[in-house]
Formats: sequence, structure tokens, C-alpha cells
Amino acid sequence: MHTIITVIKKELIDTLRDRRTLISAIIMPALLLPIMLYGFTKLSNTIMKKEEEKKLKVAMLDAPAAFAATFDTARYELLTDVTIEEGRDAILADSLDAMVAFVDGYITKVSNAGTGKVNMWYKSTNISVKDRLSTIIDDYEETLLDARIVDLSLTKEAINPIELYKYDIAPKKEQLGKLAGGILPYLFIIFCFTGCMYPGLDLITGEKERGTIETLLTVPASRFKILLGKVITIALVGLAAAVMTILGLVAALKLLPDIPADLLETISNIIQFKYVMMLFVMIIPLSFFFAGMISAMVVRAKSFKEAQSILTPISFVIIMPALIGMMPGIELTWTTAAIPILNIALATKEIVAGTINMGHYFFIVATLCVIAIVAVYVSYKQFSKEGMVLK
Amino acid sequence: MIQVQNIQKTYNLTKQQKKELQTTAPSINAVNNISFECKPGRVYSLLGPNGAGKTTTLRMMSTILKPTSGDIVIGGESVTQNPDRVRAKIGFLTGSTNLYDRLSPGEIVDYFGALHNMDKATLARRKDELFTKMGIHDFSKKRIGQMSTGMKQKVSIARSMIHDPEVVIFDEPTSGLDVITANSIIELIKDCKLAQKTVIFSSHIMSEVDLLCDDLAIIAKGDLIYNSTMDEFRKSYSDRSLTEAFISIVQSHGQPANV
Repeated sequence: MHTIITVIKKELIDTLRDRRTLISAIIMPALLLPIMLYGFTKLSNTIMKKEEEKKLKVAMLDAPAAFAATFDTARYELLTDVTIEEGRDAILADSLDAMVAFVDGYITKVSNAGTGKVNMWYKSTNISVKDRLSTIIDDYEETLLDARIVDLSLTKEAINPIELYKYDIAPKKEQLGKLAGGILPYLFIIFCFTGCMYPGLDLITGEKERGTIETLLTVPASRFKILLGKVITIALVGLAAAVMTILGLVAALKLLPDIPADLLETISNIIQFKYVMMLFVMIIPLSFFFAGMISAMVVRAKSFKEAQSILTPISFVIIMPALIGMMPGIELTWTTAAIPILNIALATKEIVAGTINMGHYFFIVATLCVIAIVAVYVSYKQFSKEGMVLK
Repeated sequence: MIQVQNIQKTYNLTKQQKKELQTTAPSINAVNNISFECKPGRVYSLLGPNGAGKTTTLRMMSTILKPTSGDIVIGGESVTQNPDRVRAKIGFLTGSTNLYDRLSPGEIVDYFGALHNMDKATLARRKDELFTKMGIHDFSKKRIGQMSTGMKQKVSIARSMIHDPEVVIFDEPTSGLDVITANSIIELIKDCKLAQKTVIFSSHIMSEVDLLCDDLAIIAKGDLIYNSTMDEFRKSYSDRSLTEAFISIVQSHGQPANV
């Protein structure tokens, strides 16, 4: 135990002085989500506001005067002297926002209680144009409908035989679980992996590249203990990265403006000690699995460059099960619970939603522990090979 | 005392290695059945051209590599049977001043002292002795990455000698170092000899060998081709320089010497 603690102590001091590791394992996971969420919310609000307030240039062909009169002249500039071809070209060239054409015979058809045809041209890439115009057309249709009801001596109820009320009784927590529960594991799995990656490169390949491994192998301590000390350090950094990701997300959701009060209450409900501990217990073996796997893979590399080229494709392999876990319809079953990484992604969703089956949960933790032990054992076997550790 | 007993190191060749070495042999012997003895209070020098097997021999002595056959007994302990006990008795130093850049000399020496299971009081005393002797106190809190090669070499020495080993193994200790830094190694070897330690070092530099060594061996292509005392060597080849003598011995074994 003395050797393992000595190695961990030294490696932690060494690792935490490495700016690259600090940035990738602590600062990035903690700040990326708050910055991204804040930036995204701020940006989308600004864009939406700008689009809503933008004065739209709309060509109006054969429109009834009553319809044209519904447009607020401060927000819309109406053009009438335009042909359909000119209008389409102008929309494509961005000199016109939309064109509304009342097809021939519209007034006659509508006056005779028929259906008149209205065409609208727009570019879906111009956010909000379609919605803004559709609202005006819908409102106009509503006034026409009201007039017809009166003319025909009907009531509104007479033309609406069914009034549908929809009640979503899924608890807020469950709704959020499906949403945040999908993205959260994806992020902490990636950050846990990258968190293990840099210390892994430094503590294993770095010893070879710097040439310090030879002296280290001449001390009277078992190679297993030396390796275990290194793997524990790597796993601790990966664990810190995953925890920082979760804390970053929680902080972002708590601190960001424009988050509804009931959502905040739901978030506080999720961040209960029990749920956080359940996540933590899964991330510990995951970090050890990553640490063992990375150590086993980079031990053969002679340089950082070579080690990075080995690990880069692996990071894509790690992302795949996490991505699958985000897909709708993929549920936690005894089969998916046995697939590493996918199981942690699915279990996180269920934990956040509060619907986790404890049998599945313990099975997942046990599975993760087994693969973590196997990964550490394989890395020890690799580390014990003379040809692997010497340059 | 180091007793090298018929050690051999064989490497199985991969297809790629066979191609590179242009051979069809399934394996290659880096060290071929060699034996010699290094005594306490004497400096033993291992000479040989590049690729002769010097580093492989020293790595087997320091338990980094396992011999394919044969054994090495260091201070009464076998490298194959009790490698941990051997490691407790040896100090290993190379010329490359490779250390951990983000640690200070104090932290590095403490780390190796702890890995050698030294108790805190002995470690502190021994560290103070070494730091005082080599003038490391002045920069003991500075990070290695900010140090000159000379400073780093002093730290490397302190790291290798912290547990006061009875056997010291130097693998080309002055290779790539400037004269002043190399001199600190030469002084260390002299001190070790005075302290009755067993010292073995590999080198290319005949002036160093002439200055320091009591016994010498020459290896080429993994074979031990000369093994005697330095006095005997000087007597046998009194008609030429040591470098010329070394070259002629190696060439008589059928290999060009790179000195």
C-alpha cells in the first residue's frame, strides 16, 4: 500500500502541475457547458428577437383590401406592383421576404361560401417569416369564418363537434430525464475519457519518452504496484473530469436566466444526494475502465504522437454507444445493461427520470467493475512485458 | 560484488525485424553466454562498439530485463530469483539526465527514497548529505524543467544514490554531457570506489576508462572477447594507445569498432 500511495502522491502532484491536463480535465468540463448553454440561450434569444422585430418586405398580389389592412405598416412593407416571377426571383435574391398571392376568382369563391386559394412563397432559411405571415393569414381566416357563422345563423360550437383537451401527465422529472438524461451521460463519458487520456499519455508513454522508466524499474517496488498507482491517478483525473461536467451542467441550469421556476424545482429534485451518489458509483468503475484501457493501449507507444494516434480512433469507439443511448426507443433491458458505456448512458437517463430498476442498476455497476478489473489486469500484463516498457 | 554467470539474452524476431536485419533466423542473441565478476572497491568497465550488448548486460544486472538463461548474483542475491532484493542493493544511472520536469529535486529524491522504503529520518539525513555535497540546496525548490543539464545531472546522481547502494551501475554515464558535467560523474565513480562500493560502467571513452577503471571487459556482437585487469591490459598493449588496442581487439573479432 505504501508504494501505491507514494506513486499516487507523486503522480497527482506531477499531473496537476500539467496545464494541458488541468485544462482538459477540470477547466473545460466545468466551463464548457455553462458557456455553451449561456451562449446558445443568449444567441437564440437575440436572433429570435431580431427576427420578430425585423420589418418584412412582402409582395401582395390581388389581395382583398381588408386583408392588406391587417398588416401593421411599422413592421411590414407591402408591395403590389410585382409579378409572380419577379417576386420569386426577389425572394431568392433576398431583396424580398415573402409573397402572398390570392389566386384568380378568390373574392367570388369566398363571397359564395366557397374556398379561395392563397399561395405563399418564402424561404424557410429566413427564420420566422413563414410563422409571422401564417399567423396573419390565420387571423384573417378567423374573421371570415366568424362572418360566415353569423350569415348562416350558426354557432361556433356547431362547426366544432369535438374539442380536444390534451393532458401530459408525465412528471416534469421524467420529461427532463428523457431530455437531459440523454445528453448528460454523453458529455460526462466523453470528458471522463479525455480526462483519462492526457494523464494516461503522460504517466505511461511520458515515462518512456522522457527515459525515466528505466530508473523507475530499478526500485525495489513491484511493477504491479507502480502501475496500479499510475492507473488510480489516471482514473482519479477522469473521475474529476466527469464530476466537473455534471457540476458544470448543474451550475449552468441553476445560474442561467430565463429558466422557468418549475423546471428549476425539478432540477433541484434531481440533484438529490441519492441520485448524485448513484451516478458517482457508476462513474468510478467507468474511470478505472478508461484508465486501464488507455494504459494498456499506450504502453506500446514510443512517443506522445504515436500514443495520440492510437487513442484518437478509440475516442470515436467510446462515443458510439453513448450516442446510441441518446436515441429514442433504446431502453434499459438486461441485454443493454450488459453493454459497457451504453448501459451507463441508459442508466443515467433512468436515474435522472427517477425510473431506474435497481436490479438493472446493480447489474450495471457489477458489469462496469468487471470490465474495469479486466482492463487494469490487461494493462498490468502489457506493462510487465520487457519489449513494451523499454523504448 | 557482481557475479555474472553465463548469461544469455535472446530476442525472437518478428517478420518486420527479420526484414530490417536481413536475416531468416527466428531469433537473435543480444548477449551470448558471458561471465565475469566485479569486486567491491574496484571499478569495472564494460567496453564495446554500438550494439555490442553493453546496455542489455547492464539492464539485466539492474533487473530491467530478464536473462533468457544464466544468472547474475549481486550482493548474494540472484536477479532471476529475487529481483526486488537486488533492486534494493543497486543504484542505476545513465548519461541522459531524464527526470520529471514538473517536480523539484527535493520531490524527486523523496519519491525515489520512498520507493526504496527508506524511513523518513534516514531519507531526510541522506538527502541533506547528498544535497550539501553536490550543492543542490541552492536550487532544491526549482522545477527540473527550468534547470541546466549540469543541475539535472546532479539531481540524477542524488536520485540514484539516495539509498546508499552497495553496487552502482552506470550505463554510458557521460555520454552527451559537457566536460564539466561529465566530471561530476567521474568524481562520483571515484567516491564510490573509495567507499568500497562495487562499480560497473559502460563507456566508449578510453580516457575515462584509463582514468577510472581497475578491471575491464570488451564485448562485441554479444560475446565477451576480453576480460582482464586494467594493468594487464596496459602491459599487453604497451606498444599502442588504448584506443588502438581496443579497436584491434574488436576487429580481430570480425567487427568494425565505432569509437
